[in-house]
Amino acid sequence: MSRGSRRWAGYLLRRVFTSLLVILGVVTITFVVSRLVPSDPASLYAGARARPEQVEQVRADLNLDAPVLSQYVGYLGDLARGDMGISFATKRPIAEDLRRFLPATLELALSATALAVLLGVPAGVMAASRHRRLSDTGIRLLAVTGVSMPVFWSALILQLVFAAELGWLPLAGRTEATTVFAQPTGMFVIDSLVAGDWGGFVDVSRHLVMPVVVMAAFPLGLTIRLVRGTMLEVLGSDYIEAATVARIPRRTVLWRLALKNALLPALTVLGLTFAYSISSAFLVEAVFGWPGLGKYLTDAIVRVDFPVITAAALAITVIYVLVNLALDLLQARLDPRVELA
Amino acid sequence: MDPSDRLPPPSRFGLRGLPRRRGLPGVAGGAGGDAGHPARRLGAPGSSVWYFRRSRLGMGAAGVALVFVVAAIFAPWLTPFADAGRGVPDLSVRLQGPDGTYWLGTDDLGRDMLARLLFGARTALIVAVGVVALSVVIGVTVGAVAGYFGRWVDEVLMRITDTFLAFPPLLLAVLVAAALGASLRNTVIAIAVSWWPWYARQVRAQVLSLQRRPYVRAVQAIGVPSHSIIVRHVLPNAMAPVWVQATADLGAAVLTAAGLSFVGLGPRPPTADWGVMIAEGRQYVLSGQWWIAGFAGIAIVVAAMSFNLIGDVVRDVTDPRTRGEG
Amino acid sequence: MKTRALTVSLAVLAVLLLVAGACGSDEDAVAPEPPAAAPAAEPAPAPEPPAPASEPAPAPEPVAEPPAAPEPAAAPPPAAAGVPADAGRFVYASPFPWVDLDPSSAFSAEHLVLQNVYETLTRFNPPGSAELLSPGLATSWESNEDATFWTFNLRDGVTFHDGAPFNAEAVRASLQRTIDLGLGAAFIFLPVESMEVVDDLTINFRLLWPAPMDLVLSSTFAAYIMSPDSVTQDATWFNDGNGAGTGPYTIASLSPSENVILTAYEDYWGGWSDGQFSEVEMRLVEDPVLAEQLVRSGDADFTFNLPFDVYPALETDTDLSVVRGVSMTNLFGMLNNVRLSPEVREALVLSFPYEDVVNNLYGGEATRATGPIPRTIWGSLDDSNLPQTDLARAAATLEAAGVSDLTLTYSYDVGEVEQEQIGEVWKALLATIGVELVLEPLTWDARWAIAQGDPAEAQDIYTMFWYPSYVTPTDFLYSLYRSEELPFFGLSYYKNPEFDALLDTADATSGTDTDAAAEMFRQAQQILVDDDVAVFMLDVPAVSVIRSDIEGYVPNPAYANVVWFYDLRRS
Repeated sequence: MSRGSRRWAGYLLRRVFTSLLVILGVVTITFVVSRLVPSDPASLYAGARARPEQVEQVRADLNLDAPVLSQYVGYLGDLARGDMGISFATKRPIAEDLRRFLPATLELALSATALAVLLGVPAGVMAASRHRRLSDTGIRLLAVTGVSMPVFWSALILQLVFAAELGWLPLAGRTEATTVFAQPTGMFVIDSLVAGDWGGFVDVSRHLVMPVVVMAAFPLGLTIRLVRGTMLEVLGSDYIEAATVARIPRRTVLWRLALKNALLPALTVLGLTFAYSISSAFLVEAVFGWPGLGKYLTDAIVRVDFPVITAAALAITVIYVLVNLALDLLQARLDPRVELA
Repeated sequence: MDPSDRLPPPSRFGLRGLPRRRGLPGVAGGAGGDAGHPARRLGAPGSSVWYFRRSRLGMGAAGVALVFVVAAIFAPWLTPFADAGRGVPDLSVRLQGPDGTYWLGTDDLGRDMLARLLFGARTALIVAVGVVALSVVIGVTVGAVAGYFGRWVDEVLMRITDTFLAFPPLLLAVLVAAALGASLRNTVIAIAVSWWPWYARQVRAQVLSLQRRPYVRAVQAIGVPSHSIIVRHVLPNAMAPVWVQATADLGAAVLTAAGLSFVGLGPRPPTADWGVMIAEGRQYVLSGQWWIAGFAGIAIVVAAMSFNLIGDVVRDVTDPRTRGEG
Repeated sequence: MKTRALTVSLAVLAVLLLVAGACGSDEDAVAPEPPAAAPAAEPAPAPEPPAPASEPAPAPEPVAEPPAAPEPAAAPPPAAAGVPADAGRFVYASPFPWVDLDPSSAFSAEHLVLQNVYETLTRFNPPGSAELLSPGLATSWESNEDATFWTFNLRDGVTFHDGAPFNAEAVRASLQRTIDLGLGAAFIFLPVESMEVVDDLTINFRLLWPAPMDLVLSSTFAAYIMSPDSVTQDATWFNDGNGAGTGPYTIASLSPSENVILTAYEDYWGGWSDGQFSEVEMRLVEDPVLAEQLVRSGDADFTFNLPFDVYPALETDTDLSVVRGVSMTNLFGMLNNVRLSPEVREALVLSFPYEDVVNNLYGGEATRATGPIPRTIWGSLDDSNLPQTDLARAAATLEAAGVSDLTLTYSYDVGEVEQEQIGEVWKALLATIGVELVLEPLTWDARWAIAQGDPAEAQDIYTMFWYPSYVTPTDFLYSLYRSEELPFFGLSYYKNPEFDALLDTADATSGTDTDAAAEMFRQAQQILVDDDVAVFMLDVPAVSVIRSDIEGYVPNPAYANVVWFYDLRRS
């Protein structure tokens, strides 16, 4: 094993360890927050018509009368066994619900991430190459608009125009109700393709368009600003100037030399974009009636269903932490400038 | 440890270490112009303020933001319908379209929309300033203590900071707001709880680099107590990027608060709130009464945009590489 | 119910529990509760029942002498087995989720689904019908003179969805399961002492005290009949989308917080004919804006509970019919009798903007409340003593009592547009007489939990919707205003033995002499009005929207917002 790869392995281990530490912290924070909820979980669980004795029984059954610390330890133990508990409101196992709703949200968030990056990177490069010209200002304004629009407002406008007025796109939902796919992934775009169901794929895609566009607006603005900033910096560096002096064509300089250097740090954009997509999920899903994790979480908040609140928040956060970990590792692997000390 | 802690200073490296931010990459710290010691005279040619003044985009945005702030402060005197702005209904004129009396129409309880928007600017400003101030106070304290004392203090504080940072933006705010219950104060607390870590990191990085400066070593050598060194000598020079960040964050705060209001975690009625106005005005749009959600949405977009643009331009002019843009 | 009756019923329940235990029921034997009537809990606000006539039909009078009902008048054409020619899919957009699909314990919005899957022995007719009840799974019934012994003759040739035959034993087992579980609306069976299976198609009910058993068995909740196999299952099984009833539809699939797909049951005893719907999607659409867009675009065929301001605009759309009906739902603000002095309560009742709210906030569709019971239910008060807004008197009352600088809290359901608007209007009025009203929007669960705590620390005003499980005044008065040891739904925290006694007598009389009972109910309500126990705000209008090409929808206020899909056709 070379010295380099040993350092790499060490770095990897350390990074995984700190990620685990962070996840433990996240679990703790969600646990603490859930105990701040101003309603009595036992009476919630016992149901709307429970009598006081029943509520007390539930309190004992759920270990809710135990000291907070022992509840916390119990909670950690359950989680470690993969048991996320059951919903107080619906009495369904939460892990099962998460398996249902998570793919729907991932489908949205990944599509939005892809859209934001595919549009954002070229737009950022273009703005940088036309620095201080009209198109640069235009793209900048577009980017700022993207990060200044409330998603529920842009969603309303899109729905009014493309669904209510023009009737081009379905108003809400994931599919027509009759569309059912065998579930390799739970992401219908992929499932329909796997099943070779072209009609289903079209249906699913049409449903995806508006939520994805709305969701992508903010991360798109973000991506443009970041890529533009990095590109400007790279374009100002000595070796690009040298390349320009050496009469290498502008296009090659821009898209080959400069972008390559700018893209490495832009990996982070991917993580960020994903983060913003997934965190706006609960707004987007509410407006589009999208049966995903965000809606699951909002519903749980409305019903003060705290096992669900903590579990859903935890799931989203863990995914985010893992995505960040993966991107960091990837970047450390690819970018020689990252010190692995 | 997050690798960004060990990366070269952002000004050389560019992006990494800056970005994980609410859409607003941090200012170039460390070697940045104004962060030096002593500070440059305000507005002198070549200073950031001087560059800002030359930016049409920046000045335009600043003008709009000023209008917004003035509207918020002087709301009661800017409208003949101040009572409506405070929430007093008049059911005889509900849902009236824009006309000579009610320039922007009336809402579902017959309140003048312009008055409601002006008072909504108040709410937005209170939230934005409150969130940023609270985040700065917590973040700067934690960051300065961690950076200055280093070692295990730093380690513990930064692990806590990392944990808070691990939540996707908005999510933690939603959690906390849901737990505390809907009110203006709780909105501020909820958002600040999820924002302070960004400031903590930034300040810590600044403090770490400043600490090695000779003048800090000098005051340490003559036995000035730690808290005094931090407050008197280190922080003043570490704050420049924080202020830039804070400006840029005002827009994001307005937007985030609107999101919380939309899902019912905002201030209580009858407080005028733009997010609530969109949420409640949505239902009237289909039946043709577009002006409630419409104007409230425009208000949010314009306010958020002006702050975001200011943030953009400020960041550009404080970074020597991009000075004079816009 | 008399206190003695309560004691007896307790004893009966204890016996039932023992029996259940002896039968080795492996269900989670939740102890049957002391008979606390607890109808229509509302995690979500109450649905409003719609009906066609725009003016309230005469309040249905329960028949003291139980009628021997004729053979079904509206019996569908003879059974043509098999699913009809496809009328396509009917889409029902519901703003309320179905959380508990167990037919014994369901007690929220689940009846929207269950009424199409399960049937009851009798069905309460929509207003304006000649008879009070229609035959359901029972074809006729009779009782003895004092309404303590009832015989029901059951329909022949009915099968459950799982193929099991329907018979008297299935009825007994179903109702016994409901009684044993003691959840939801099971309290409606409190008068039942025993059930006797006479033969396959005859069942007797022996009662502890006089009760209109035919009416009880028409209940929206708890009176469903399920197959022998379903009886042995638990709530989890039902909530996975299982369960066999006798109704025209079965649950084909169930996606939690998304939709329920119902398909026609081929062997339904009523038979099928062309043009009926073979498939129904019940979709959960909690966002009213989305629901409105869905019915406008034709993606949904029916919805309700839209904000009242949108109906005028919907009426201009020829593709849609706005259906208005009789409502048995009312809205009131319960005044905290522990925290608020009689003078303050009186001032609050005097200060409420009754006319303003009714005329302006519900699109002008609401009606003034005459008292604690909606005017559409028998035994309600008449219009003679409607409360009037009188701010001057309210201020004078407060001043005379030496009350000043009052700050009161108004607890209401977050997201309920009208409750919030009412709060804002009332707040502005109260401000003019020096009372500050603090609006506290909370979720039902959260605010109910607070309200059930120490009354001295709880809210001052608590808004609530109420609609009856079956059509009776008792349901309102008992659950909301009878003295409670620990607060449950009685969130005025009102304790008045005189009222309790009168109510119990009225209830016991209602099985035999309705007129006398109605008079007593009215006296009891007058006590509540005189004591300013609550602000009786309004009777909530029942409005729903259906696509105009759908025929056969008859709203029935006794079953709030239920659409019996079997009755529908697309023209």
